[in-house]
Amino acid sequence: MSGSVLLAELIDALRCLPGVGAKSAQRMAFHVLERDRPGALRLADRLAAAVERIGNCRRCRSFSENELCSFCANPLRDKSVLCVVESPVDQSAVETATGFRGLYFVLLGRLSPLDGMGPRELGLDLLAERLRGGEVAELIVATNPTVEGEATAHLLSQLARDAGVRATRLAHGVPLGGELEFIDRGTLAHAFGSRQTLT
Amino acid sequence: MRVEDEPGWLLHARPYRETSLLLEGLSREHGRIGLVARGARREKTRQPRALLQPLVPLSLAWSGHGELVALTAVEARGQPPLLQGTALLCAMYVNELTLRLSPRHDAIPEVFDAYELALQRLADHPECAWTLRRYERDLLAETGYGLVCDSEADRGEPIDPAQDYIYIPEHGAVVYAGQANVLRLRGSALLALAADAMPDSEDLASLRRLMRALIGHQLGGGSLRSWSMLAGNLPAR
Ligand SMILES: [Zn+2]
Repeated sequence: MSGSVLLAELIDALRCLPGVGAKSAQRMAFHVLERDRPGALRLADRLAAAVERIGNCRRCRSFSENELCSFCANPLRDKSVLCVVESPVDQSAVETATGFRGLYFVLLGRLSPLDGMGPRELGLDLLAERLRGGEVAELIVATNPTVEGEATAHLLSQLARDAGVRATRLAHGVPLGGELEFIDRGTLAHAFGSRQTLT
Repeated sequence: MRVEDEPGWLLHARPYRETSLLLEGLSREHGRIGLVARGARREKTRQPRALLQPLVPLSLAWSGHGELVALTAVEARGQPPLLQGTALLCAMYVNELTLRLSPRHDAIPEVFDAYELALQRLADHPECAWTLRRYERDLLAETGYGLVCDSEADRGEPIDPAQDYIYIPEHGAVVYAGQANVLRLRGSALLALAADAMPDSEDLASLRRLMRALIGHQLGGGSLRSWSMLAGNLPAR
């Protein structure tokens, strides 16, 4: 270990990143100091700007440095289909993996009273208002297939029903490329229960 | 201490550190326990992630002492109760209630049995409200704060179904005498709770208010967060 206080502080600061322990933090710190000072300056600059300026979109609650995020501000997106996800990571997963051209609503969590996440924390009043606005024809519920995700889905379906909006839920079941004998019982039971007619 | 094959449920699970889960479990013989599932959030793990969530009947094994013990094995113990819609929300409330009212490391097998019965009833019957009232009654009784619902507190006279009463925490039912700002209910509601016979909807609603007041008192004036998500508290409803 060198005698630099700043270096020690840098290593300690890097450990706030997920998956970065003491060893990798040290490696990262040495790497940027020895080999990539310009890259490090750019990182520091972008990190500060992002943390300072990124807030939440007024309409969908996803990350955005403007009042409306680029999805909500895009006139080419289909306003009649609204996909509800738990987090910006899930939003990005849906956007990358599917050809979805509608809009999103990000809950920033899931229903979990013991963690202090109730209808208000999930922005459901904002969503209810949006559904009553009449622009949305279908609400796609893309919460995770966990107990909390299912409970959240139930609340969302109630909101949709109250507003006269059709609600749909992502199918869940056997993963592509999976083999039945290795799939957990719950998943298999669910897939079996929601089987579809072959056409 | 090492415990194997203990029937249990998880009341709550949340991420802990980088790859672990912090679990709050309810077991039959060891009461409520805090567990750490190390590495449970890694992609490849010995403990299937789908099992490590509430409302799945489990067989648990752990080792360790003190407030937090280490989960060493987990297996499914039968099929989970089929909880959907409102029943699922009610089951989450049952979890919060159990967690808040049952002390850690205080084994009360009756609480465990009442908990399992409540989940099964929520899965079987559409009338969730009555199931919740029965569970609240039993949980309060088993944790030492049982209600006296068949006789009046001051003179010990039997409750009259047609009479109005107020229920004073840690005292009991007394005849309503025109007091303002009190929780007033019919004797028939108290008798229904005592006899475990489902009352009419008006009595059921007043029992709901009574239980909330008693639980709130038990929590030192606090409230349960699940109350905000149960019927009547959703936006625009
Ligand atoms: Zn937006």
